[in-house]
This record gives sequence, C-alpha cells and structure tokens, in this order.
Amino acid sequence: MYNEIIFYSASFLILLFGVLTLVSWNIFYSLISAIIVFFTTSIFFWLLGSEYNAVIQLAIYGFAIPIILGLGIMFTNLKKDRPVKFGFSNSKYGLILVCGIFILAMIYIVLISLLSVPEIFSTQIIFDEFINPHSNFMVFSKGIFSNYVWAFELISLILTITVAGLTIIKRVGRRAK
Amino acid sequence: MEELISENLYLIILLPLWIFLILMLGRFFAVYINKTLTHALTLLSSAMGVIATLGLYKFFTPDKIYEYSYPFLKINDFVVPFGIHIDRMSLMFTSVLFFVSLLIQLFSISYMKDKKKQYRFFALLNLFNFSIAGLFLSPNLFQTYVFWELAGVVSYLLIGFDYDQFKKSVAAKKVFIINRIGDTAFLAGITMSSYFLYEYAPVKSLASLSFFDINTSSVLIGAYTSRPLFLIICWLFLTAAIVKSAQLPFYTWLQDAMEAKLPVSALLHSSTLVALGIYLTLRLLPFYTLAPIVLKSATVIGILTAFVCSLSACSQTDMKKTLAYSTSAQFGLMFFAIGVLNIKAAIALFCAHALIKPMLFITIPNENEKWNYTNFVLFLIGGLSLSGVLFLGMLSKEIFVYSLGTTGKTLVTILSFLTAFYITRIALVATDKNGLEKGNVNIIEILSISGFLILNIGIYVYLRKIGVYKIAEPFWAAITAWISVYILYTKQGFYKIPFIYPLCHEGFYLDKLYMTVVVGTYNKIAKLSDLFETKIFSNYKPALLFSKCGVKTVCWIEENVMNRAVSAIVSFSRQVSTISKQLQTKNVQWYNLYGFMIITAIISCLVLAYIAFLAYIEGVG
Amino acid sequence: MTEITLYHYLFVGLFVFVLGFAGSIVCKNIIKVLICIEFMLTGVNINFATFAKYCGGSSADGFVMILFYTAIGAIELAVALYIFYFMHCKKQSDNIEKYGEL
Repeated sequence: MYNEIIFYSASFLILLFGVLTLVSWNIFYSLISAIIVFFTTSIFFWLLGSEYNAVIQLAIYGFAIPIILGLGIMFTNLKKDRPVKFGFSNSKYGLILVCGIFILAMIYIVLISLLSVPEIFSTQIIFDEFINPHSNFMVFSKGIFSNYVWAFELISLILTITVAGLTIIKRVGRRAK
Repeated sequence: MEELISENLYLIILLPLWIFLILMLGRFFAVYINKTLTHALTLLSSAMGVIATLGLYKFFTPDKIYEYSYPFLKINDFVVPFGIHIDRMSLMFTSVLFFVSLLIQLFSISYMKDKKKQYRFFALLNLFNFSIAGLFLSPNLFQTYVFWELAGVVSYLLIGFDYDQFKKSVAAKKVFIINRIGDTAFLAGITMSSYFLYEYAPVKSLASLSFFDINTSSVLIGAYTSRPLFLIICWLFLTAAIVKSAQLPFYTWLQDAMEAKLPVSALLHSSTLVALGIYLTLRLLPFYTLAPIVLKSATVIGILTAFVCSLSACSQTDMKKTLAYSTSAQFGLMFFAIGVLNIKAAIALFCAHALIKPMLFITIPNENEKWNYTNFVLFLIGGLSLSGVLFLGMLSKEIFVYSLGTTGKTLVTILSFLTAFYITRIALVATDKNGLEKGNVNIIEILSISGFLILNIGIYVYLRKIGVYKIAEPFWAAITAWISVYILYTKQGFYKIPFIYPLCHEGFYLDKLYMTVVVGTYNKIAKLSDLFETKIFSNYKPALLFSKCGVKTVCWIEENVMNRAVSAIVSFSRQVSTISKQLQTKNVQWYNLYGFMIITAIISCLVLAYIAFLAYIEGVG
Repeated sequence: MTEITLYHYLFVGLFVFVLGFAGSIVCKNIIKVLICIEFMLTGVNINFATFAKYCGGSSADGFVMILFYTAIGAIELAVALYIFYFMHCKKQSDNIEKYGEL
C-alpha cells in the first residue's frame, strides 16, 4: 500500500519536473527541477530494492553534477545583458539544516540495508553477524569484485585518464599561448 | 628458486624491450627527456640480465634443459610455438651478452656525453639487447629466425645512427644488404627442413624444428632426403652463420660497420652480431656431424679467413679497420675449432674474444688526438691477451692447441704470431702518428675497462684452478712477434713489399671485386635496357605503329565510354548531394534527430519482421 | 490501486528517456542539453534496476551496471563541460546554434 502511494507520487513528481525542466525559461529553474528529478529517481531505486544505487544517485546526480552544472551556468551568466537574481545570503541556516537531514537520511539508509536485526544499539553483536547476507551491499561487492572486476578497473582507469587528460590539455593550451 | 627464475626469465628478456618502448614513446609524446633516467633504466635492464643469467648458471648442470612454449602460429596441424629454451650454452651466451653490454653501456654514458639524440641511442641499445637475448633463448629455429632479422634491422639502425652523414648511411645500407644473403639462406634452410619433417615425419610437432629434439629431427631429415639435398640444407645453414660471423667471402661488411660509433662497434664485434653465427653453428651441430664434409668446409673457411684477415690487418694504418679484420680472423679461428669438433675451445675462444675486443675498442683514441698513457697501457694489456700471452686469451689458445695435430698446431702458431704482429704494429703506428700524452681519463671509462679486465683475469684464475694446461707454442710465437716487431719498428726495419702490401691493404680486393662484378653488372644491365629502349625500340617502325594504334584505341574508349560513364556518375551524385545538402544544418541536434529516426526505423522494421515471422510459423503449423 | 508491476517502472524509465531525448533535440541552451543527456542516462538506469529486480533473480548484474553507467555519465559530463568552456571562450554564447560554425 505504502509502496504504491510512494510510487505514484514519485512518478507524478518526475513527470511534472521533467516537463518543467524543458519548459522553464530561466535556466536556474530548470536546473532545480532537474535536481528534483534526480532525487526522485533515487526513490525509485530504493523502491526497487537497491539502496546502494539510491545513495550513489543522490551523491552524484543529486549533488555533484548539479554543482558542476551550476558553475557552468554562472560562467555563462557573467555577461551583463542577463543579470542573475539568485543568492545564498539568507539560507545559511537552511543549508546546514538540509545537510544535517541528508546525513541523517544517509545513515538511516545505510543502517537499513546493513542490518537484518533491529537491535542496533546492543554492543555485543559481532560485525559479521551484523550484516545481512542477502542485503544489497554483499551482492554488490561480490558482483564488483568477482564478475565485473575488469569493468570496474576500466571505469576507474577512464576516470583517471579523463582527469589527467583534461589537465594536460589545459597545460598544453596554456603553453601554446 | 631456480624454478622461479627459469619461469620468469622471459621477463628479463622483455625488460629491454619495455625500456625501449618507454624511452621512445616518452620522447614521442614529449612527456619527459631525462638523461639520468635514460642511463639508469638502460643499465638496470642489463644488470638484471647479468644477475638472473649468472644466478641460473649455478643450477644448470650440463645435461639439464628447461623449456616452455605456447603455440604462436597455427596452420591446420602445423604449429610454430614461441617460448624459452634454457640450457648451459644459451645461458653462457646470454650472460656474456648482458655483461658486455652492461659495461659498454657504462662506457657510452661518457662517450655520448655531449652528443645529440641520446635517448634514441640508448633505446636502440636496449632493443639490440632484446633481440640478441631473445635469439639466444629461443626454443626453435623459427623464433631464432624472427630475432635474427630483428638483430639485422637494429644493427642497421645503430650503424646508420648519424644518418645525415652520407658515408655512414651508405655503409649501414651495405651492411644490411650483405647480411640479407645470409638471412635468405637461413630462411631457405628452415623452410626446406621444416617441409620434409612436416611431410614425412611421424610426429607433426617435429616440423617446428625445436632445439629440444634437434638430434631426432636432424637424423630424420638425413633419412628422408637424398644425400645432395641434405648437404645443401647444411650448407645453407652454414652460409647464414658465415655471413653473420663475417667469414671469407662475406667479411667485407665488417669493415663498413666500422662507420658506427665506438660503443656500437665494440658491441657488434664482441658478443652480439658476429656471435650469432657461432651460436647457430653450435646449435645445429647435429646436422653437421651427419655430414662431415660440411664440417670440413667450415674448417677450411675458418682457416682461410683467419689467414686472409690477419694478413690484411697487418697492413692497415687505421686502428678501427685493423680491429675489424682481427675480429674476422678470431672468428675464423672459432670456426676452425668447431670444424675439428673442439667445442670447449670454441666457447673459450669466444669468451676470451668477447671480453678482450671491447676493451681494445674502448681504449683506442679518437682521430687526430693524442693517446692517453692509461689507455695505451690498457690497450697493450688487451693486445697481449688477444694474441695469447696473458690471461684468458692464452688459456683459450692452450685449450685449442692441446687437442690438435702437428699441422693444426703450426697453423694456430702462425696465426697467433700474426695476431701479435698486427696488434703491436698498429699500437706503434698510432703512437708515432699523434704521440702520447698524460691526459685525464674519465672515471666511468676506467670502471668499464676494469670490469672487462677483472672478469678476464677472474675467469682465467678459475679455469686454471680446475684444469691443468701447459704453456703451448702460440705463447712463444706471440712473444717472438712482440719482441721482433718492436725491434724492427724502432730500427725502421719495415718496408712495403711491392706486390703483397697493396693486396693486403685493400683486403685482397674482395670489396672491389664485389663492386665491379655485382654492382657493375647491375649497372650494365640497366644501361643495356636503356639503350634498347631509346635506340632500338623507338626506331622500329612496326612497333611504333602498333603502339600508336593502341594509343588511339585507348583514346577513343576513354572519350566515348569512360568519360560518359564518369559524367553520368557525377551528375547523379550531384543530384543526390543537392538533396542531402538541405539536410545539413550544421546543428548537432538535427544530426541526433536523424540518428534517432534511423534507429527507430530499424527497430520498427525488426519488430515488423518478427511479427511476420511469427505469423508465417503459425500459418505453417 | 492496482499492484505495481514491471511495466509501471519501465514506463517511467521510458518517459524519462524520451523526455531527455526530446529536450536534447529541442533545447537551445547548451546547459539544458547536458541536463537532458543526463535524463536519458537516468531513464536507462531505471530500466536496468527494474529488470534486475524482476528478472534478475538473486544476481545484482543490473545494479552493478547502474554503477558503471553513473560513472560514465559523470566522466562524460566533465568532458562535455570542458568542451563547453572552450567553445564559450571562442563564441561568447551559450546558444547551441552558434556552435555549428567551427
């Protein structure tokens, strides 16, 4: 029952804000709606029983990528003919509150997926018994380090190459000047 | 321990290749140009080779063989494996190679100090190490051939290192072309023997000519072929060895190889390029023992080369040329030893030569410069050792003479007399020409020379402890030569014998013979064909008419058929392009849309086809 | 309300994908195009998760694939933003239509 309510509300959010992303005239509003879409996607992952992916989605699509995109937007808005009406001056406390809520939420998600037993606070439990063998994390790590080791290494290699390559291109361009 | 090193010895061989790639690619992508790093990496690879091979040498008893390989080339049931074959002999050759190249690389650090393109030089040295070590450790003749070719190419690159100087590039080309004769002979021998084994042998794996069962395969080839054919195969292999070791008909390339830099010639002459011939002959000894006439011919060639080259060396005025002729002569002595089946002596002679020759090369002075006292003394010590008065040179000649009859003893005695003669003479000539001085010597050079000397003395002492040899005739002959040359030279007792001196000075006119016969014939053929074309063919009426008629027909076809076809294609493609030009909006998004449309169309087609297929199956059912 | 099946999730994934695709075609602002490309990846990810849940059994192959896709998306975005920076320096505009002239 709860699942259904969550699913329908989440899909409604995705539809609404997905369309808003495209429609909104201001690029900042569309970015914010995109963030909401990404957040909602993480809810979907959680519903589908993959908490780890939900966390990844939150961390990368919910926070990292919007920040980079926002930097890009700020870069474009330096022109005078399109002033920016947006600021973070009064929302300092709000930001701290949101961060705290996010951290709590993360802890909650991690604990939920880690534990099979609700007796979290009893100290005498050994950690190995603590972990649910059918939880997502175990399956995940087994997958990454057995079948998909090469893919995992390849991805990390590509990441490294991208970082190094961008730096080198930047340096070469500077040298050319 | 021993298993561990044996299994991973291929890493030691691959290390120089890896360092070659690092140096070349690093320079290519302009990531770094660091001289210290280049030197350190190069020295590291050679030092690793020395440690690993010397460490293994202790574990390998004479009859122990370690071999592993994996199939590299498969054609039906004919398999050519690649891998590693370790036994006492290959370990001996490889350790000498790595030791000599380590010391020479040490020397070339000081030699190349102010020269350009150091990275390329050291990278090529590494590649050379790789090719030679891979040859010494290869398990079958096919892999040997691959590395044989690689060694030829790298020697070409090293000799023609200063390719902007015309003389050097021409010399490199000449060396490469003469070496091709041997390569072709080698390939022909391999293919012939492999063919017979593949066609007739009971086990197909013998066709890969593995060294592990070279005895079986040589006997089988002898059985399956007629006698002349077997002799031809043996002679082909012997030709390959003779060309690489600079023996009689082909020794002229070694004098051209002198155009290379000093470290390169030191490397070529000691343990790398010319050693390949000796190595191949020793490996294929089962073939030769079945055909004694081939062994006899090897003996004759060796003796002739030794005499001819020693005599030529006696009349040279250039130090490098003298040393080049002396290399040919020493390798002739080795072929002599192999021909009389004295393998121990052949290997001893090879070791002695490999350790002495680089020392002589390193100590000679540059052109038009005074000679250092230190270098002069070291050169004399090396010369004494080479001519059989000191250390390993003496011991090797003693081992050789010990097993010979009276004729052989006389020959070797005369040869060592000649060796001592030309070494002393050239030293005296060089001192007379530019004089001696008390200059400073680089510490690195001294380090590398003393390395050669210490190893020379060390092996000598070790062998003296093991066996008992008495001092033989060559020793006394060499001593006589040294004394007599000194006395004659100081009293100006030399004079140029009218007929023999120019003959020896030009190397018995073999080089000029090749130039006139081979190159001259080629030029004449070219001129003849040119003459035929300009004078005869162009004046011959029917031919001219025929060709004119052909040209006219072709013109007509071109105008009426080809041109129209081409113009039709052009107009069609123009029409197509006018349509496709409208699609080009120089906007990425449009192109994305096209792509999406095409993909959608393909997918929908597939779906429709699947539905139609299902309907058909239902209809059939 | 009916029980939620495989097809509900797939429909949402498809919708997000199509939305992203339409946006990447229609939008003129280059930042918006980048966002829409990320939408497309998200739609694919939802599909992966759905199939892993309903058809994958006990294996987590689909979920692992999502991880890789996320990493690839991040890399791609970094490179795209660098290109955008470079082009913006030259063209002084964020309108994608002006980027056609090289």
